[in-house]
Amino acid sequence: MRTREEVDATLQIAKLNADELLPTVHCLGFGPGASGADAGDFCLLELEPALCQQLEAGHSLVIRGDKDEQAVLCSKDKTYDLKIADTSNMLLFIPGCKTPDQLKMEETHCNIIHTEIFGFSNNYWELRRCRPKLKKLKKFLMENTYEGPDSQKEEDSTRSKYTTEDLLDQIQASEEEIMTQLQVLNACEIGGYWRILDFDYEMKLLNHLTQLVDSESWSFSKVPLNICLQELGPLEPEEMIEHCLKCYGKKYVDEGEVYFELSADKICRATAQMLLQNAVKFNLAEFQEVWQQSVPEGMITRLDQLKGLALVDRHSRPEVIFLLKADDLPEGNQERFNSLFSLREKWTEEDIAPYIQDLCGEKQTIGALLTKYSRSSMQNGIKVYNSRRPIS
Amino acid sequence: MVQIVISSTGAGGLAEWVLMELQGEIEARYSTGLAGNLLGDLHYTTEGIPVLIVGHHILYGKIIHLEKPFAVLVKHAPGEQDCDELGHETGTRYLVTALIKNKILFKTRPKPIITNVPKKV
Repeated sequence: MRTREEVDATLQIAKLNADELLPTVHCLGFGPGASGADAGDFCLLELEPALCQQLEAGHSLVIRGDKDEQAVLCSKDKTYDLKIADTSNMLLFIPGCKTPDQLKMEETHCNIIHTEIFGFSNNYWELRRCRPKLKKLKKFLMENTYEGPDSQKEEDSTRSKYTTEDLLDQIQASEEEIMTQLQVLNACEIGGYWRILDFDYEMKLLNHLTQLVDSESWSFSKVPLNICLQELGPLEPEEMIEHCLKCYGKKYVDEGEVYFELSADKICRATAQMLLQNAVKFNLAEFQEVWQQSVPEGMITRLDQLKGLALVDRHSRPEVIFLLKADDLPEGNQERFNSLFSLREKWTEEDIAPYIQDLCGEKQTIGALLTKYSRSSMQNGIKVYNSRRPIS
Repeated sequence: MVQIVISSTGAGGLAEWVLMELQGEIEARYSTGLAGNLLGDLHYTTEGIPVLIVGHHILYGKIIHLEKPFAVLVKHAPGEQDCDELGHETGTRYLVTALIKNKILFKTRPKPIITNVPKKV
């Protein structure tokens, strides 16, 4: 082991003045097991401060991906693309090495610290926040939609069903992002498995509720849970009645009783979907009339309730409306734009925005996406966007 | 799909290491490899400037507090521990062994040390 005398001798040869140096020297050496990161036994992961805090709190991170997928790293609530960044410099990892500030804060100053270098690397793992890859989630849950407890499907045990753990095993997203998306999909945990309701079954439940509200002359903003369960319990499972209330309303407590404030927007939107799914296109004027008549009395229908669900064609005669669901479109940016431009050559920003909203990352806006993936022009005084290249 | 867990024991179990960044490569003098060999002496001036003496060179650098800290992950291959608390067989895992919040960067050209007569100790 190097001695202080040897260190001082070296300082002399190097013509360095010991008075200008702190008293402590680190004698750096490679530990007996020191090796390069290329061997794969260890590596360096670059963290944003929030992730560092999570590790310090004892939380874990998980890398998820299939062999043919790009790996992602997930914290409990965020997803990051994982890439290897090369550096032309050599990075040495040194345990037990102190910085000048740390040395100055110490009371006693030892004059020599033998420090072992753990390893070295010329690359590290780099993280970039990305959108969670959630398309698979709906695809899995649609394999076996829930049609009620009496459906024959429920007796078939070979039909696919997914627990939370199953989903974490298969989806490249953080747990919180998956839970949020399950809520967006109106999914329900039944018997420990996540299920999406068959749309007709969901509408059946909703109709029971709206008819009950009507016959009891309740206000939509004060629907009592216990009476719903009482009156509708004979018709449908209580959990499903309550699930439907949660999907279409907001729960609150008033004087110890649980009530739901139903959302007119959500109910009008679901009603529109029910009408539109049975036709390729609908005459817009006729649709609007039927739609208004189909929603519960007192609710007002508005076309902006249908963003991301249906598209209006104002250039056709007569004007038409048809179903176009944002979550049926491709997940990748270029593929999404390709499919939108195949459907319609030129889009206004107002029409296309709901169909690209979910592509916006942390720092990307609709405007930035349009600039990148489309070309703009003016048509009748309005700015429209079309594809940058010919769509076959 | 694969799930690879990166687990952490929390601040109590996490050491804080330092990263040293050097330009170029380090070669061992003899072909036995780097392990077990000395690298050099690291001093700090009273102003806090790192000074590294490696072989016949002196390098002056600076301490940088990292905006994005690093975690040192050590791989544990399957078989080292059979099951986790849930009783699942665990595959490859990484354990966060240390955090790195500071680096010592040497990017200026090293100054050669001219020795006429090596001093015998």
